[in-house]
Amino acid sequence: MTDAVLAAGAISPSLSRRWAITGGRLTLAALLLLGWELSARRFGSIFFAPPLDVAMRIVELAQSGRLAEDIAATLRVSALGFAIACILGVLLPFLLRRSPRLTEAVEPFIMASMGIPKYALAPWLILWFGIGDLPKLVVVVLMVFYVIFITTFAGIRAVDRRLIDMARIAGAGETMIAREIVWKSLLPFFFTGLKVALPRAVSATIVGEFLVASEGVGHYIEYSRQVSDTTGVFAGITVATALVLAINAAVNVIERRALGWRPVERDMQL
Amino acid sequence: MTALIEIRDLGKRFPARHGREPPPWVIRDLSFSVRPGEFLTIIGPSGAGKSTLLNMIAQIETVSAGEIVFDGETAKVQDARSLRPGFDRRIGYVTQDDNLLPWRTTIDNVLFPIEVQGRLNAQTRAHAEMLVRAVGLAGFERYYPHELSGGMRKRAALIRTLAYDPPVILMDEPFAAVDAQTRTQLQADLLKLWNLGRKTIIFVTHDITEAIALGDRALVLSRQPARIAAEHAIPIPRPRNVADIFALEGFAAIYERIRAAIQ
Repeated sequence: MTDAVLAAGAISPSLSRRWAITGGRLTLAALLLLGWELSARRFGSIFFAPPLDVAMRIVELAQSGRLAEDIAATLRVSALGFAIACILGVLLPFLLRRSPRLTEAVEPFIMASMGIPKYALAPWLILWFGIGDLPKLVVVVLMVFYVIFITTFAGIRAVDRRLIDMARIAGAGETMIAREIVWKSLLPFFFTGLKVALPRAVSATIVGEFLVASEGVGHYIEYSRQVSDTTGVFAGITVATALVLAINAAVNVIERRALGWRPVERDMQL
Repeated sequence: MTALIEIRDLGKRFPARHGREPPPWVIRDLSFSVRPGEFLTIIGPSGAGKSTLLNMIAQIETVSAGEIVFDGETAKVQDARSLRPGFDRRIGYVTQDDNLLPWRTTIDNVLFPIEVQGRLNAQTRAHAEMLVRAVGLAGFERYYPHELSGGMRKRAALIRTLAYDPPVILMDEPFAAVDAQTRTQLQADLLKLWNLGRKTIIFVTHDITEAIALGDRALVLSRQPARIAAEHAIPIPRPRNVADIFALEGFAAIYERIRAAIQ
């Protein structure tokens, strides 16, 4: 009996805390929606589409199949570009790790090229690659690559030297050390990079679609703007945001699995 | 008996930074030898270069002067590129920090060397599990390092090296960071395990009592640059009861002699 009381007492603070957080979030969401609705009434539907119209538009788009098509087009470019950038962004630091001299030689060039505004390259990329997926893909790769490269590079620098020595003494070869010590050590860095890069990949795709596309969420937003369909613009933005949030949630799940060993407070996920 | 490890006129100084005087020698003209199966303890004050000495023997650090002969073979230790860390798995190293891999559980940490050596099979696994039980880590096999106490982590690090069975083990103050009671228990565990396998051990410590309790022979290092200041045989019979080591005949005399050598 006392045990049960104690147990209930032990559980309820964390439970009530969780409710407080959920309640707080719902209140904030309601306030934002209210602000949105009020703005729509104040500024008129040309500048602010009312939330209900936007919701109905999204349902319409979903029913017509247009939504799935556009999301698929956007995801195709983002995902492929993201994957290519990740592979390059991880492989390159691993190669550079083997040669401090090469690292020193290459570093200023990488830093300089990072300074180039990637979207400014778009017209030139269209010149080169035409108006298919390719110019968008290149922009996505460039946007994502640097984030992954920098975080992986920093992660490799932060690897505990003593763990590598331990592994070497135990007889581990370079491949084993790269896989078992370096890669595992930098995973937290890598996931941070992923989370920073993911919204960028989707943004880059959407901006690319503003310029050259016949499909995709970005194309829908731009087309809606051209025909003064503010509800369409807002619907597109909402879909894009939802897309980023969904991908982020998926990354969080993967991260929690990959870094399950870590003694971190899991409630606080960014 | 011939020496298994011979250290001849060993010297170490770290490279100078740009535009500064070359730093002084950390270790200079240091010579000693270790017999197979011997438990050698090395006592030195903090900052005397004890870790540097072991790092050089383990071949994770280069040597500035002198040579290291292992089992009749002179190691190429002058140049970082020719270092062979662990000398082909023949020298194990239990460092001051446990250096457990935080993403591996206790048992997976213990199995790590066996795994990278490609020797993981039913027999080696059973041996590792036996060691886990022998040091009282049974039930904690699936725990991650951060979930273990300091003493448990030390034990895990110790048996990780024992599990792959290198003939020589270097130990760098492995029990310095735990409380006195745990330390006595860990020392007893170590002696028990050493009795099972009779490996050659070079055990570095700043604790005179520990050096006497564990060793067959104790070397005393001088202050920088470190060299051998004195050598003491420890004729206390084995098996020794580490907890009562003070009460044993001969302990006080050896303790006094070593303390005098350190002054």
